[in-house]
Amino acid sequence: MSYYDIDAILTDAQKVPTTFELDIPSLGYLDNAAGHTLKSGTRVDLPLWLSEMLAVSATATSKTPSRSLVTLDLPAALSTRVMNALKADPKSVDLRALAQNFYGLGERLLELFEEDELCDVLMDSWRKRAAEISDHASHVGQGKGAGGGVGSGDSVEFLRGLDEWERDLFRRCHDSGKAMKVWMGEMKKK
Amino acid sequence: MALPLPPGLTPAEVAFLCEMEMVTVVPRQRLESLALIGGPTQPLRPPHRAPLPLWLALLLKRQRRANILPPPWLLPSSLERILKQETEIDPQGFSSPPPHPYPIRAVPSHTDTISPPFLPSSTADAPPDYLPYHWLELGEILLEACSDDLQEPGRVRTLLRDLREVRMAKMRGSTKDLQGGGVSSLNGVGAMEVSEGRAFIVGVMDGLRKLGSSRETARREREEDEGAGGGGVSDEDEEMGFE
Repeated sequence: MSYYDIDAILTDAQKVPTTFELDIPSLGYLDNAAGHTLKSGTRVDLPLWLSEMLAVSATATSKTPSRSLVTLDLPAALSTRVMNALKADPKSVDLRALAQNFYGLGERLLELFEEDELCDVLMDSWRKRAAEISDHASHVGQGKGAGGGVGSGDSVEFLRGLDEWERDLFRRCHDSGKAMKVWMGEMKKK
Repeated sequence: MALPLPPGLTPAEVAFLCEMEMVTVVPRQRLESLALIGGPTQPLRPPHRAPLPLWLALLLKRQRRANILPPPWLLPSSLERILKQETEIDPQGFSSPPPHPYPIRAVPSHTDTISPPFLPSSTADAPPDYLPYHWLELGEILLEACSDDLQEPGRVRTLLRDLREVRMAKMRGSTKDLQGGGVSSLNGVGAMEVSEGRAFIVGVMDGLRKLGSSRETARREREEDEGAGGGGVSDEDEEMGFE
């Protein structure tokens, strides 16, 4: 992953629910109480890059045993409800509405949490949706000549719900299929 | 920064490589031996067949100096048998590539390692009922350049289309039961199919690898902890697997 990778930056900018374990003076504006102390136990949505740093760094006081500043929770996009929906039917979930970089977020959080089931569900839905994506990628534009447009309402719905990884896969699939068609067409002209 | 070109070869590049394949021609004019980089060509004496690289054969064909003999696997009957093999006999796997023309013996010889582009898999004496490495592009090129030399070009065209559809569907399906790494065998898949399917398969595998990477590191660390007291052999295996 490159330092300048815009997708990596956007993935890191996604918010994660973070619970503070300590009182922090004058950080209250994070919780809509400017100028006050941020109480311990407050839940704030913070971007992933920040909350990750806070979660892995420990307070270094001599008296108390080292304790992390914050605890992280799984964001709503990766909650049990979404996982159950993905388990039931991966193709009907609108991943883009949940998180723009859904899989990227999943990948980053799997580094922080050891959730075997989450990993299984994500891999399985990636696999199943990828097959669907390649079908759409090879058929998109075929109905255009007949005035059918991109396709039926169902496929438009599905394609709108793709997250960034899936969009990239779709694009690459489509490009390779198109290159093939162009080559075959060129053969005709010769 | 990333290269502007995607990994792999474009269809035009694959077709270019395919033009190195040897085909059999029936010359109409005499032509002395040409000193090509790949070795001298056989002198052409009109009624006798001669093997030539595809690009030269196409050139002569265009100038009406030679006719190209289609390879036996490009005949409609052979293509039909292959299609049957793909759809009915073995609907999961790909039909096997042509057998190695030189017998593999216990004593290693330099012919053991010759691989498809350098094997005459598309000459008139190639084995029928096997699709060689460059089947799709060679079929397309011959259909366009010399459809008058083929038997029933219309049927050959439809059969090639059908074969391509069937095999692409198999290739896409092969990712469904993919676990972390490794696809089900892609033995027998042609160069053009690889170039078309690469983006998808590599993309899916890359996604799976990224999603599974944290679990993989955890597993590796655990094994390292357990294997710290054990033998060093398993450690070496891990190193190999990681590359």
